[in-house]
Amino acid sequence: MIRDITIGQYYPAASVIHKLDPRVKLLGTLVFIISLFLFSSFSGYVVAAVFLFGTIRLSRVPLKFILKGLKAVFILLLFTVIFNIFLTKGTPLVTIGPLAITWEGIRTAVFMAIRLVFLILGSSLMTLTTTPNQLTDGMEKGLAILKPLHVPVHEIAMIMSIALRFIPILLEETDKIMKAQSARGADFESGNMIQKAKSLIPILVPLFVSAFRRANDLAMAMEARCYHGGDGRTKMKPLRYEKRDYTAYFLLLLYLGILLAVNLLVRYFVADTQITFLSALPATIMMREGF
Amino acid sequence: MAIILDKVNYSYSVGTAYEKHALKDVSLVLNDGEFIGIIGHTGSGKSTLIQHLNGLERATSGTIYYNGRDIYDTDFKMKELRGKVGLVFQYPEHQLFETTVLEDVKFGPKNQGLPPLEVDLRAYEALKQVGMPEELYDASPFELSGGQKRRAAIAGVLAMKPEVLILDEPTAGLDPRGRDEILDQIAALHKEQGITVILVSHSMEDVANYVGRIIVMNHGQVALDGMPKEVFSHYRELESMGLSAPQVTYVMNGLRQAGYPVETSATTVEEAKEEILRVLGQGRE
Repeated sequence: MIRDITIGQYYPAASVIHKLDPRVKLLGTLVFIISLFLFSSFSGYVVAAVFLFGTIRLSRVPLKFILKGLKAVFILLLFTVIFNIFLTKGTPLVTIGPLAITWEGIRTAVFMAIRLVFLILGSSLMTLTTTPNQLTDGMEKGLAILKPLHVPVHEIAMIMSIALRFIPILLEETDKIMKAQSARGADFESGNMIQKAKSLIPILVPLFVSAFRRANDLAMAMEARCYHGGDGRTKMKPLRYEKRDYTAYFLLLLYLGILLAVNLLVRYFVADTQITFLSALPATIMMREGF
Repeated sequence: MAIILDKVNYSYSVGTAYEKHALKDVSLVLNDGEFIGIIGHTGSGKSTLIQHLNGLERATSGTIYYNGRDIYDTDFKMKELRGKVGLVFQYPEHQLFETTVLEDVKFGPKNQGLPPLEVDLRAYEALKQVGMPEELYDASPFELSGGQKRRAAIAGVLAMKPEVLILDEPTAGLDPRGRDEILDQIAALHKEQGITVILVSHSMEDVANYVGRIIVMNHGQVALDGMPKEVFSHYRELESMGLSAPQVTYVMNGLRQAGYPVETSATTVEEAKEEILRVLGQGRE
């Protein structure tokens, strides 16, 4: 049920990825997400997949657990695929009435789906291996360069970490309220759209009330401990780069390098073909070399 | 008729780091008209257990019979069961959502599909049963005090006229007076209406003063089941489960060890007083 949603959860394990400096993980995730949009060839996906699944393997988080996080975005994924299949123009393969499935459509749909899946897997891997506290620390230190511009870096980081921390709490709360209202005979499944929307009121009102109550309590608890923002605040565990962090940065650069190299190669050799499978590479090379 | 649990098992988050076997082979018979206390340490499975009784959680294996019918049968009406087995959650005031107390109490009977007049009647009756002052019927539930909110929430379940009433820690976070009032009202309901009451608590004193039978849960299993006297005589075992017997049990056992020939089975202060007086009286003769 609700506790199966893994986005924003932390998965405790003793792995290299867990021990990495949060700055590395934040930047790494960002670079990985951007990198997903840098290429359009099949080989690029292979490189990204090797990198992603290698990292997942290293993190010792069971693949099954990470994949569960996809359930939440399944509908979105489905829509993307369907729209892409039917609405991309090109050479039609099958025609159903006014709709046509094109080769380009299928290609775009598959690639878009893989991109989305990789994006979600990548970012949930970060939250699964990094505690919210570490994330704030990383964000704060990483964005410290903006401080001279009077950007309230610490406060922004704090707000984000609280928001992240509250996701599982509110999910649990929703689960509890849903159960409590079901115990009073509430029905969330049957009826038309309007009835269904109405049946959400008994969940949403208590949920908001409880969110405000929790926010209030938290603010009070923070003030009771003399919290006053980032000025003059020191850390118990200041972030310091270790050898493994530099290795990770190096691997990240290596990944980017390979990705760009593969992309350039593919573009150079098979610029005019639509099918850019890796297997096409050797053949193309042979052709150009005049064998 | 009764609720019968036959080898009920329940695990959640199967296949993850958070996997937990919350109930292990729980077999119980909960008879009509009983006043039962379920006690156990945090995480002992007591909350999970009661959520099975009205079908909110579904057992991984095993069967539950309500009045002789398997509640997992495909043609069994789960919604009807929820009206018959009323479950008051921990901090039930967190589920209040309507604009007035009365409207909120009406939510349950309305969901049962009763005619409006019957719904009104039941709501008034339930509010009276929990001792809600009449001038608060039209107040916003969010303006009430903690104890009043809890009463309103309990009334919300009572208005469904359940045959079995389950309360999960109904006194958590209340002051001693609010606690006694709520427990007294629940005891009165049990006595006057003859409904089965199941009280989940970790406070031995609460439980000992009211219930006729205690079920002790430990690590998802039924550890002890019997009359308060019997259960509290195993106070050493209770301690090893992170629980304790009522203070009078310790007093009586202490007296006995000190050489006074008292019966150690007293579970309430009243019983203990009489027993001590009896022994002392004998000594004087």
